[in-house]
Amino acid sequence: MSGARKRRSGGRANRVAARQSSVAVETATFIERKIPCFEILNQEALELIEYNADTLLEEVGIEFREAPAALELLNAAGAEIDGERVRFPRGLCRQLVMASAPSEYSQHARNPARTTIIGGDRTVLVPAYGSPFVRDLDGGRRYATIEDFRNFVKLTYMSPGLHHSGGTVCEPVDLPVNKRHFDMVYSHMKYSDKPFMGSVTHPDRAQDSVDMANILFGEGFLDQNTVMTSLINANSPMTFDATMLGAAKVYAENNQATVISPFILAGAMSPVTVAGTLTQILAEALAGMTYTQLVRPGAPVVFGTFASAISMQSGAPTFGTPEPSLVLYGAAALARRLKVPFRSGGGLCGSKTPDAQAAYESANTLQTAALAGVNFMLHTAGWLEGGLVMGYEKFIMDTDQANMIAVLLRGVDLSENGQAMDAIREVGPGAHFLGAAHTQANFEHAFYRSTVADNNSFEQWEEDGCQDTVARANTIWKEMLASYEAPPLDQAVDEALLAYMQQRKDSMPDQSY
Amino acid sequence: MTDETEEELDLNDLDDTELVEQMHDDLYDGLRDEVVEGTEILLARGWTADKVLNVALVGGMQIVGVDFRDGILFVPEVLLAASAMKGGMGILRPLLAETGAKPIGKMVIGTVKGDIHDIGKNLVGMMMEGAGFEVVDIGINNSVEEYLAALLEHEPDILGMSALLTTTMPYMKVVVDEMVNRNIRDQYIIMVGGAPLNEEFGTAVGADVYCRDAADAADQATRLMNEKHAANV
Repeated sequence: MSGARKRRSGGRANRVAARQSSVAVETATFIERKIPCFEILNQEALELIEYNADTLLEEVGIEFREAPAALELLNAAGAEIDGERVRFPRGLCRQLVMASAPSEYSQHARNPARTTIIGGDRTVLVPAYGSPFVRDLDGGRRYATIEDFRNFVKLTYMSPGLHHSGGTVCEPVDLPVNKRHFDMVYSHMKYSDKPFMGSVTHPDRAQDSVDMANILFGEGFLDQNTVMTSLINANSPMTFDATMLGAAKVYAENNQATVISPFILAGAMSPVTVAGTLTQILAEALAGMTYTQLVRPGAPVVFGTFASAISMQSGAPTFGTPEPSLVLYGAAALARRLKVPFRSGGGLCGSKTPDAQAAYESANTLQTAALAGVNFMLHTAGWLEGGLVMGYEKFIMDTDQANMIAVLLRGVDLSENGQAMDAIREVGPGAHFLGAAHTQANFEHAFYRSTVADNNSFEQWEEDGCQDTVARANTIWKEMLASYEAPPLDQAVDEALLAYMQQRKDSMPDQSY
Repeated sequence: MTDETEEELDLNDLDDTELVEQMHDDLYDGLRDEVVEGTEILLARGWTADKVLNVALVGGMQIVGVDFRDGILFVPEVLLAASAMKGGMGILRPLLAETGAKPIGKMVIGTVKGDIHDIGKNLVGMMMEGAGFEVVDIGINNSVEEYLAALLEHEPDILGMSALLTTTMPYMKVVVDEMVNRNIRDQYIIMVGGAPLNEEFGTAVGADVYCRDAADAADQATRLMNEKHAANV
């Protein structure tokens, strides 16, 4: 074909190009919620739980283990210290948190167009975190490697429904424990330009994350700007350990955000009831958030909740069941009353494979988290087997759900076009809307089109090889990785990061702890 | 495609090959006026109506059918393309009749007795027209007598029957059986379709073919008509 030939634009070539690009890197930076949060507890109920949480903080207290500096700080603020046990006078934590913790904050990305805001009416969707294993249709279940880690950073970068690159998208167990965080943080910086999470497995590794962010964003930027949101788990029940407290301190001192997350498998790590679990979650989150505000008033902090239940037959964690959904709705409301951002939810499930159990359980948790008003939705995509496994096909299935959450939370269009009275007048009784001018003008974006569902006729589905969702998702992630292109990174910055990592890695022997 | 030329495009400036390619694109984009203009230009250049139909229009609609099947084109877009095709057919049909060229085919289509659902049937009709068929739509709730009367009156090549309900679809067999009784069954290609049907049901009621959707109906009808013409040669 000659390039000089006259031709109207359009036709098949254009349409096919536009519609077959399964790999759109166009990403919103967050979902702006236009529908109300779903509330299950009235004011009286919430006040009761807040009162009980204060009673817990006052009578029972929270342990801050092997953290003498933290104890001093808490004592100076008015808490009573008894060994490692910290008891807070009624109302102290709430007062300290509400005095300085921001209700929302910007988390900067190296690409300013991807800088997100966490808190308020926004929901930020983040991939799953922390699994030692990965699973895919071809290779089955196996230990994760740094190659898998990079793959999930790339897939997340290419998933328009995910606003954040996440953190430990899987644990690269092929690298030494004391050095793998360099390659993990670098992968987020290099292979994505979305915001990310830092290392928390040792205070030194948190500091390395901060140092690398200083190279990426430029010296001095971090002190007044947040570029990392990192995960600080409470060792429930009612305990914070030195590792988490040390990492939290590094991040707070550097004005970086932390997510203080009680980690609850109810029945084992909290009472079996919803109200009892909520009381404990609120107390733990308040104590942890208070600590960050004492380290640096105004450091961004997120009220986290990871709530699941256990099987009373085996002790195994269960997911997607109704009781943790009730906990999630309640915790979200408690966070709103504290005026801090809230983290929970994700596509949680207990299933080993991306089967019906996985789909049901994940859908239950994702829907609950979306309706509850979660601001930072960790574990949105990829989660299998109670978090032990990051699934390639599951990741693709979950990102489809993530896209749908954005549409659901957008609410109802009540504009003149949304009211569609011209369509109703044009078509009238007994005809159909497929050819109406309003349909012609709106059809392409009127309905969310699933990336993994098959809605063809039985015969066509059969001709296409009777593929189920998992088989289709398998094709998609392979196509995505094959067409991945890295976002440009300044060469001098890249070299400085690599040099820093090399120097730090050379400064210590490989260790398995 | 270059931006600076696109507004000033004059179809007369294109040679035959370019014009046919542009008409395929214009059909794809549902540009009825442009398809009509292209049809007129080709006729003025001495193309036979038969050649314009098969090369420019049917060739273009085949591309539309493939991309509809593959999920690239949406239903409203296929309707626009079929409407553009009808625009071209409006010019060609009288010429085809004059020259005695073999028409692609004619179809009588209707929903069976007891069933008033017609959106699917209408889509089939439009896709058939898009494939160059002449379609006589006898509407909904048709009895055996109404089907037979339509066959006598319009002398089609194809009878199409549609049903949405499991309770109305068996009526298709009543129609076919009556055609067998009257010894007219073999004069027609019988096509059936509708959500509750399948291949097996189509065979059981004595139809020639079950069509799973509108694009499939147009494909199958074209194939069966080609076989019929070949057998008659």
